[in-house]
Amino acid sequence: MSGFNRQRASTALVWLILLTMPYWMALIGGYTELGTRVLVLGLAAMALNFLLGFTGVLSFGHAAYFGLGAYGAGMAIKYLAPSTPLSILVGVVLGTLAAALIGALIVKLRGVYFAMVTIAFGQVFFFIAIRWNAVTGGDDGLTGWQRHALDLGLGKIDILGNDKAYYYLVLILFAIAVGIMALLLRSPFGRTLLAIRENERRARFLGIPVEQHIWLSFVISCLFASLAGTLFALLSNFVDPRALHWSQSGNFVIMAVLGGMRSFWGPLVGAAIFVVLQDFVSSHTENWMSIIGLFFVLVVLFFPRGVLGMLRRKAKS
Amino acid sequence: MSDKNLLETKISRRGVIKAAAAAGVVQLAAPFIGSARAAEPVKIGLCNPLTGTYAAVGKNELIGCQLAIEQINAKGGIIGRPVTLLVEDSTSGDAGTAVQKSRKLIERDNVNFLLGNVNSALALAMAQVSNEKGVVHIVPGGHTDAITGASCHWNVFRVCNTTQMEAYAVAPELLKKGGKKWYFITPDYAFGHTLQAGLEKAAAKIGAVKVGGDLTPLGATDFSSYLIKAQAAKPDVIIFLPQGNDMINCIKQAVQFGLDKRFHLAGAQQELEALEGLPPEARIGTWVFEWYWNQPGVPHVAEFVAAIKKKTGRVPTARTWFGFASAWSCALAANQAKSLDAHKVAKALQGLKLPPEVALMPEQPFFRAGQNQLIPTLYVGNAQAKGSAGEDDLFHVTEIVKGSEVAGTVEESGCKMVWPS
Repeated sequence: MSGFNRQRASTALVWLILLTMPYWMALIGGYTELGTRVLVLGLAAMALNFLLGFTGVLSFGHAAYFGLGAYGAGMAIKYLAPSTPLSILVGVVLGTLAAALIGALIVKLRGVYFAMVTIAFGQVFFFIAIRWNAVTGGDDGLTGWQRHALDLGLGKIDILGNDKAYYYLVLILFAIAVGIMALLLRSPFGRTLLAIRENERRARFLGIPVEQHIWLSFVISCLFASLAGTLFALLSNFVDPRALHWSQSGNFVIMAVLGGMRSFWGPLVGAAIFVVLQDFVSSHTENWMSIIGLFFVLVVLFFPRGVLGMLRRKAKS
Repeated sequence: MSDKNLLETKISRRGVIKAAAAAGVVQLAAPFIGSARAAEPVKIGLCNPLTGTYAAVGKNELIGCQLAIEQINAKGGIIGRPVTLLVEDSTSGDAGTAVQKSRKLIERDNVNFLLGNVNSALALAMAQVSNEKGVVHIVPGGHTDAITGASCHWNVFRVCNTTQMEAYAVAPELLKKGGKKWYFITPDYAFGHTLQAGLEKAAAKIGAVKVGGDLTPLGATDFSSYLIKAQAAKPDVIIFLPQGNDMINCIKQAVQFGLDKRFHLAGAQQELEALEGLPPEARIGTWVFEWYWNQPGVPHVAEFVAAIKKKTGRVPTARTWFGFASAWSCALAANQAKSLDAHKVAKALQGLKLPPEVALMPEQPFFRAGQNQLIPTLYVGNAQAKGSAGEDDLFHVTEIVKGSEVAGTVEESGCKMVWPS
């Protein structure tokens, strides 16, 4: 089988698994909401990886945009109008606007300095959320709202009571987001990002406006992270400041690295492993965090290209 | 690769990974196999902190639940069916995890009852889930008023006191022992906010005043800046409202600073877990306990203490009793309703009086209909380095307060209960 065909086959396999997931998850001890969570966090990790894996810029503050999306969605329903599409729109616009502004301030920084500044800006939003009790609900989180049925004109889809329906709504949005990211990566713009990742100085000498490209990549990445945030909030009908905390950003990085940040689907695999492991191990032992940490250490030591990177290398050999 | 192979050949990295993966798959398959059993037990799901700042109190609630479940099963179970307890770690402060675990218990494990949470914010978040799913939910130890007040639900009940009840119970003693100028050190989340608000309300009634206060983040370890501010305000009483490890750190530091020599250090809610964690010289001040193990003359308390001591080697705390009473309440109500239907059980719980072997209090506690709040007895007194009843006697009860006297009316609670049609 040629590499191209194999890639197609694996993509088809991923979609097949995602499409059928709610129907077999229960048989192996899962539940629909776990699947939705995998999709949502997978989308966030893939969005981060657009910047980390394909532009070579490490952001440690993606939870800020994830959380802004989440708060935007929750507050739109609570304070504006009870509409799910509106809440998603508000969340995404809020997260993307913040990213566009902050991105413009920090694109000149590189490496650890970029990571540090993204953490700092992320914590700004965290403390706003935790301190502004009257609006955000403070440390208790934003409650007293829930997602509403989708009104398509022809009929209503009950995404609140039927968790499979919500899963498929998330899957559709996930597919659109992932499709756009894949198209972008294949476009000349995406190739340019790869060139910047491989050798920034050479890219600059070729006349590529590196800062603009990194800024755009950052904004696109944050746009999809905030989309994931809105879906995350709507999933639990709840947001709390921990969605904005830097440790959440760290989790996204862990997912991306765990799955393999050089492969397109890697972060989704990483998110699946992370979420399922967390959910499963924490039911059995209170020391679940050390087991996840140990697993992460093992992966980084033995499979530096992540789980998917390891599988791919094996397939080639 | 089979296990036998693994032993014979050199253990390769790949082999270890495969074996680990296989072990994982076997684990995953377990619930599937489990569901094939014939007699379906009644499931009680406990989603409570087992890690973080509330780990100690969360575990005591768990122990109480476990003892209750053993007793329930020994007495014939719930409507003739055996009872099992499913436990999930909600973490101490991450409401997202608590919500996820609650949904897991309700959706995947189909629990008949949901219990939790110690953290008020998490309890509120869980209540929203249980209400959405229509599952009877008992909050053993989350104190914020809203749970059985403004955010009350037909399916959500609470065993521990509201912060308002604790505040009204302890306020007269604070005024008597300390003085009328109060300074608050308050944890920055639902429980702290409402407890302080309750004390301020109680203060206004009896003529005490707030001279200042600070909000501290959950999990704070260094309280020195707050304590310096507190002594600058020259209050009569410094009121400590943090809980768990935060309270231990805060009082320890206050005693190290010598504040106990100059001010009356006190608070509202105090727990045996926190007193155990304090050095003897820091076991000071006026507090309210919600249950205490040393209650001479109250029926069944000694048996309960002995049973818990046998299980853990320690005396039970209020938390142990919360867990115990919560699990028993599920069983009592379902047996009275002769059904597991959430509506019928909730109706039976409203007004349910706890029998003496569960109550373990001088006054018979009952769930007040209209807000689903248990109205128990409160124990006001002072912490002591070591009491007459041994090592574990760290609290001296000076006054027994009837819950009904401090609970206010249902209207005052702000609860407007809506039943689903």
